[in-house]
Amino acid sequence: MTMVSDGDWLALWVSIKLALVTTAILLLVCTPLAWWLARRRLPGQALLEALLALPLVLPPSVLGFYLLIGLGPNGPGGWVTQWGEARSLAFSFTGLVIGSLIYSLPFVLQPLKNAFAAIETRQLDMAAVSGARPLDRFFSLVIPQARQGYASAAILGIAHTLGEFGVVLMIGGSLAGETRVASVALYEHVEAGDYANAHRLAGVLLVMSVMMLWALFRWQRKQNVGVMP
Amino acid sequence: MSLAFSLAGQVGQCRLQVQAQLAASGVTVLFGPSGSGKSTLLRMLAGLQECEGEIRFGDQLWHTEGFRLPPWERPLGMMFQAPTLFRHLDVRGNLDYVRKRRGASGEDLARVVGQTRIEPLLARSVETLSGGEAQRVALARALMAGPELLLLDEPLSALDHGHKQELLGMISAIATQVPVIYVTHDLDELLTLSRQVWLMEQGRIVASGKAHEELARLDGPLAQRGDATALLYGELGAYDSRDHLQAVNVARQTFWLPAARPVAGDAPVRLRIAARDVSLCRQAPEDSSILNIHPVQVAGLREVGPGQAVVQLVLGDQRLLARISSRSARELEVFPGAQLYAQVKAVALG
Repeated sequence: MTMVSDGDWLALWVSIKLALVTTAILLLVCTPLAWWLARRRLPGQALLEALLALPLVLPPSVLGFYLLIGLGPNGPGGWVTQWGEARSLAFSFTGLVIGSLIYSLPFVLQPLKNAFAAIETRQLDMAAVSGARPLDRFFSLVIPQARQGYASAAILGIAHTLGEFGVVLMIGGSLAGETRVASVALYEHVEAGDYANAHRLAGVLLVMSVMMLWALFRWQRKQNVGVMP
Repeated sequence: MSLAFSLAGQVGQCRLQVQAQLAASGVTVLFGPSGSGKSTLLRMLAGLQECEGEIRFGDQLWHTEGFRLPPWERPLGMMFQAPTLFRHLDVRGNLDYVRKRRGASGEDLARVVGQTRIEPLLARSVETLSGGEAQRVALARALMAGPELLLLDEPLSALDHGHKQELLGMISAIATQVPVIYVTHDLDELLTLSRQVWLMEQGRIVASGKAHEELARLDGPLAQRGDATALLYGELGAYDSRDHLQAVNVARQTFWLPAARPVAGDAPVRLRIAARDVSLCRQAPEDSSILNIHPVQVAGLREVGPGQAVVQLVLGDQRLLARISSRSARELEVFPGAQLYAQVKAVALG
């Protein structure tokens, strides 16, 4: 691993930072959204769910293209930033975060939604007659009972953001320390015919991905021991 | 009177319209076939279900037009058909969940744990409990709230006979201090628990009153059942140690019950006599194997199903039921006022 160049470590660090920031924001945003989708039946819900699931099927470059226009100096993102220091959100870390939020949203939303839907209404009723108010019920019952969903959502969110490529290439470019993430750095090594560095970086990414999923599945197995049918 | 309500509500196809008042203590059994709205009524009383109307508990207003006291502010304890223990907590965690929110003390916890005999279970994960253990923990959790009213929704329907009896005993003991509304469609539980009963059919309380009176009422639904049973109150009498028989005196008549040892206690005891265990004759048979043969007067007769009749009999100030064939009723000339003898094949305490 010591053979990985400083530039590549920097790219890995940007990737990790992006994954952590994106996933943290998504966990916060998706908690109420997933609760609402799992426990309520409202008109227009199917369309909303379709839109939220769109990043699953849309080619990342299509998403990246619209984001580039949206975040560029002439898009709504540019309007927002024209009074600030930056001229555009495109080709900035903030822009990458915004892109990743949209791109990885279904991977965080779905596990949370499933976990919330699996909580029995009886359990909530029992908590209510036991003296727990709604918000208290959410923190003392819903979140602990949905912890597997949170673990899956976090790991999938991080892993999926680390693996992002098409969107990043479109809206991030490859500014070292700002928007050059590991997957893009790997692509550039291959482009340049530098297979030795490509191997090292790819190896690191592979090992990281395996470790994360392994940790997730191991933890889930432990949680499943003795669970009521 | 502790609880009074007059409620209406729509649940699916079923329109619920009920009003009643609850005694200040003791078990009131809410009895009726499944789908009659018993559980829905209980959920309305707990504040878990939308409804219209008024609920008053003592001097507190729980529900009226435009106001609903939320469930977490009603001083209730509740049990559902399934134990519904909080699955992310162990047994002690389940009790503490309620204790903290209801401001109960450590002594309250110890008392409830003793009452429900769950001391050995406290450190267990709720997933490893048997059905009977889980319902005992659920009962303990309901008591942890220090409830002024217990709402129990068929809590024992999934348990075997032994565990059922154990929990019924605990619930009866608790009901001496706290009023209990107990939902069931099991006649055996009604007979064991109840002093008061509300009979529910198709979203309405069609009759309410003392259990032994409702059980014997010919125009009520209970006497028409195949397993119709009368409850009689008596005093314990002598014990015949040679034949292992316990005497119980009911209205100056002596009933003999098989008992391996004398029945303890001096309070009035309750006798259960199933209608199908009672036969009628015009003269007292002199050489019958049946021990309990008593003179009775016919109070009424009702045809129930093809060829079957149920007869209400008066024994002193108490009522007994006999289920006989319509032919026997005709040939014996069973009519109100007739003097007959009732042969009682089986009597149970409880």
